[in-house]
Amino acid sequence: MGPLLGAALGEPLLGAGLGAAVEAVTLDELPLGGSLPLSAAVAAGVAVCLAAGPCHLPAEAAFPAGLAAGWLHTRSELSLRSRRAVHVRRAQAALAQARPPRLGFEIASALTVQALATFIVVITALLAAGPALQVLWPLLPGTLRSGARCAVIAAPWLGAGGLAASLWSRR
Amino acid sequence: MSGLRARMFLRCLLLQSGFSDKSCQALGFAWALDPALRAAYGDDASGLAAARARHLSPFNTNPCAAGVILGTTAALEARAAGTPDQAARALALKSAAGASLAGVGDALVWGALRPLAAALAFFVAAALNHFFVLHFLFWGALAGLAAFNVPALAARWAGLSRGLAEGESALVSVSRLPVQAWIHRCRLATIGLLLAAAALVGLSGAAATPLFASLAFTAGVVFSRFAGGPLRLVAAAGLLGAAAAAGGWTL
Repeated sequence: MGPLLGAALGEPLLGAGLGAAVEAVTLDELPLGGSLPLSAAVAAGVAVCLAAGPCHLPAEAAFPAGLAAGWLHTRSELSLRSRRAVHVRRAQAALAQARPPRLGFEIASALTVQALATFIVVITALLAAGPALQVLWPLLPGTLRSGARCAVIAAPWLGAGGLAASLWSRR
Repeated sequence: MSGLRARMFLRCLLLQSGFSDKSCQALGFAWALDPALRAAYGDDASGLAAARARHLSPFNTNPCAAGVILGTTAALEARAAGTPDQAARALALKSAAGASLAGVGDALVWGALRPLAAALAFFVAAALNHFFVLHFLFWGALAGLAAFNVPALAARWAGLSRGLAEGESALVSVSRLPVQAWIHRCRLATIGLLLAAAALVGLSGAAATPLFASLAFTAGVVFSRFAGGPLRLVAAAGLLGAAAAAGGWTL
């Protein structure tokens, strides 16, 4: 997601760098069973759009905003999962009335709602967080901005270290 | 047969799209299986309706392992048309295989293949940067995507094909695969690629100074187990960076 969006916005290296940073910090979170980790694709997409898009936020401001959007997207997906049983119930009701279940329609409507939810999260992040951070970021104390810069530069290395440790301990 | 297999494979890619807390992947599985059920039951409308109802029951597995379960279930349903005992057997086998392959599939796909793909992406990007190739991060990301998706899609296709051709003996074949050895090799390869990539980046001085990168990598190794994952470590790095800046040291 990061490199593709970055290339589309004319900043392939920035896109790949932010994508790598997001991927590195979410790599250790496994979607086992029905659990759902932070959405890395949304996080990377929002971070790259904020950094390489019209807002041109610094990478250290776009990175945490992207992670927050990824977390929001996960919350919305969890909420959708609790409501999606309605599709199976509708198919079962059709079968009980001797009608063929519209499984393709149910899948399409589930996908449409999910795409809509993703769109809302991404657009909200871009239209609300982008301009807000554009105004607020320069007003933050220099120490906080340096801290954020340290976090975004360290992210791939911390993620790689965490991954190496987890691989070693699981052997 | 190949048309049916292609349709089931394409539908299998949307297995997760109807995921719900109560029935998990039931909707996606029923939709992927539907072409096989229609082929098996033909004009038997009541048999087809009963089969469709059976496969709307809760089901969950690793998406990459779903191909073989889908193929096996389709083959058993084709044999089961008109025989209730066989139909119950197909359902029981599907549930049992789903649960057991979920554990193995999650360990292989999320615990071994995904980290390997990420490490390969890191290594390719570092190696290309070392040799001054343009857009090295883009090519690294592409290598990582290919390393994950090619085996994942191949597993779905091969599993579906074998399941359709061999029925339940395909599941026996899958259970004999040396998955633990694959996981072990993937992890060793991941560690090797990470170390090689780190060495290359250290040599070229890209992305961060070698000292900073080494410190962050070591912090990731040492503290990841205590801090509860890299996400919290990144927050801690932000706080440390802020403290360091307050003390007069900046990156």
